[in-house]
Amino acid sequence: MGAAQASIIGAEERKANRAVAVEGRSVIFKIKRCDGPGKPWRWESFKVPTEPGSNVISSLRHIAANPVTVDGKETTPVVWDSGCLEEVCGACTMVINGRVRQSCSCLIDEYAPREGDEIVLEPMSKFPVIRDLWVDRTRMFNALERVKAWVPIDGTYNLGAGPQEDHDHQQMRYALSECMTCGCCLEACPQFIKKEHEDQWESSFIGPQAISQARLFNEHGTGKRLKDERMDTLTGPGGIQDCGNAQNCVKVCPKGIPLTESIAAIGRSATIHSIKKFFTGK
Amino acid sequence: MSTHQSFMQRHQFLIRRLHSLTGILPIGVFLIAHLVTNSSLAWGWFALKGRGGAEGLSVSEGGVQYFAHEVTYLNTQVPHLFLIEVTLWAAIAFHSILGFYYAMGGQGNLPHYKHQDNFRYTLQRLSGYFGIAFIFYHVATLRWGWSFLVPNGTEWSHHWSASTLAAALQGSSEGWTAMGVVVSLFYFLGVSLLVFHFANGLWTAAITWGLTVSEHAQKRWGYVCAAVGVGLMLASWGALAGAMTVDYDEAQAIEASIQGSHEVPAEQLDVHTQNDGHTLQTAEADPEG
Repeated sequence: MGAAQASIIGAEERKANRAVAVEGRSVIFKIKRCDGPGKPWRWESFKVPTEPGSNVISSLRHIAANPVTVDGKETTPVVWDSGCLEEVCGACTMVINGRVRQSCSCLIDEYAPREGDEIVLEPMSKFPVIRDLWVDRTRMFNALERVKAWVPIDGTYNLGAGPQEDHDHQQMRYALSECMTCGCCLEACPQFIKKEHEDQWESSFIGPQAISQARLFNEHGTGKRLKDERMDTLTGPGGIQDCGNAQNCVKVCPKGIPLTESIAAIGRSATIHSIKKFFTGK
Repeated sequence: MSTHQSFMQRHQFLIRRLHSLTGILPIGVFLIAHLVTNSSLAWGWFALKGRGGAEGLSVSEGGVQYFAHEVTYLNTQVPHLFLIEVTLWAAIAFHSILGFYYAMGGQGNLPHYKHQDNFRYTLQRLSGYFGIAFIFYHVATLRWGWSFLVPNGTEWSHHWSASTLAAALQGSSEGWTAMGVVVSLFYFLGVSLLVFHFANGLWTAAITWGLTVSEHAQKRWGYVCAAVGVGLMLASWGALAGAMTVDYDEAQAIEASIQGSHEVPAEQLDVHTQNDGHTLQTAEADPEG
């Protein structure tokens, strides 16, 4: 993990901070910066005036418009990635005060309520940095391909109507479908290790995100046709067996997806799949 | 799948599941039996009293009596003992070496994610590292006879099970020494961490194999594992407290009477001899006896 030493703020404290936040104050952003892949990193601090309801992204916009550090040194604008600005796309995920979350929904009032309070921003440590706070999350999309996270409907003939699904089952799958591939679960997972190069991805732990998506499509009436192929991947190198049950994934998931239940469910499928394969497989 | 994968990579899933399995069977099952036997140093007197055999014995002496009889039984009456032991050592070596290798591959982040589960993840690995060192010392000194690692060179023998155990833990046959305190503290940490390791491993194994899927099921099973952990913790502390309070000379006298006497074990401790009337003859026929 990074060198950030700012205290990690819990939900209770965030609520209390919001109630006492001083209007019109300025706060300090300490940002871990890097000019590009393979380049050295450095810390730079910026003083940013707050507005009512300002968040990390609005503060980064202020820095982009005024790229001057607290020491008065002119620097390059800080680069970050973002999309929806309403916590549903996952692009702006970063490590804020040592803990991963989306920056668009991170309110300054909750993290730095007093004049001169500091907020520490770092890029996610498990993905290659493109520049500053912007990381390359390609590995997550590669993992979705590896577990065939889709419903197979392409073909040469009409498959007819889709299967019926009962309400409870649909509710269960809906929760899993909320995954936005943000990377929080992987950042917080002590078993998910950063791998810069694509050829290392296959043998390293695939992580809770793809495991949960495999469960989503295994549970789909048509999607389950690919279950054996998904389970082959998930019982292969870097599969479900690399989970260490630290259960950080479920605690940091911004969508509240029951990732540890997915891991256990895939664990059960893996048990059955491997026994079946031992006795009847090739 | 590509062919350049190593043997370990191709069979990673199977090996990890065997790692999980060996932690429970045989290691966990043995741990339970081992701690039950050893804790009899603490509760043996009460068991004897229940059978009317504790007359004239202090609680400590009764514990020694019961424990020494149990150990004699295990070392002389259990068939294929060497095979059982080698299987156990192989399982422990497999579980330890792989566990060490896997644990080194993780990147703990407890300071950043201070959750109870993450704390247990971290402690599971630390207790594993410590446990490997402890089990090696424990087995090497008290089973393989590496007495040069024991303060004052006490050599453990199943004929003098309680007295030599007490001397190994207390530092000498004359009572406590400074090195004895160090060894006892090492034992206290070792057994406590290993009991945690087993109880927590029992909890994670249920997730690994897919027995406990829902959050509620994981919580419920967590209570069961916590209860197992508390019970075994009490047993391990009882065993240690028992060994630490044994008087060497008193214990030697009791052990001598067990070796030399037909009456005491046969009449008062006849649980193991009901199906086998030759128990004592076999015990006496032991070449080391």
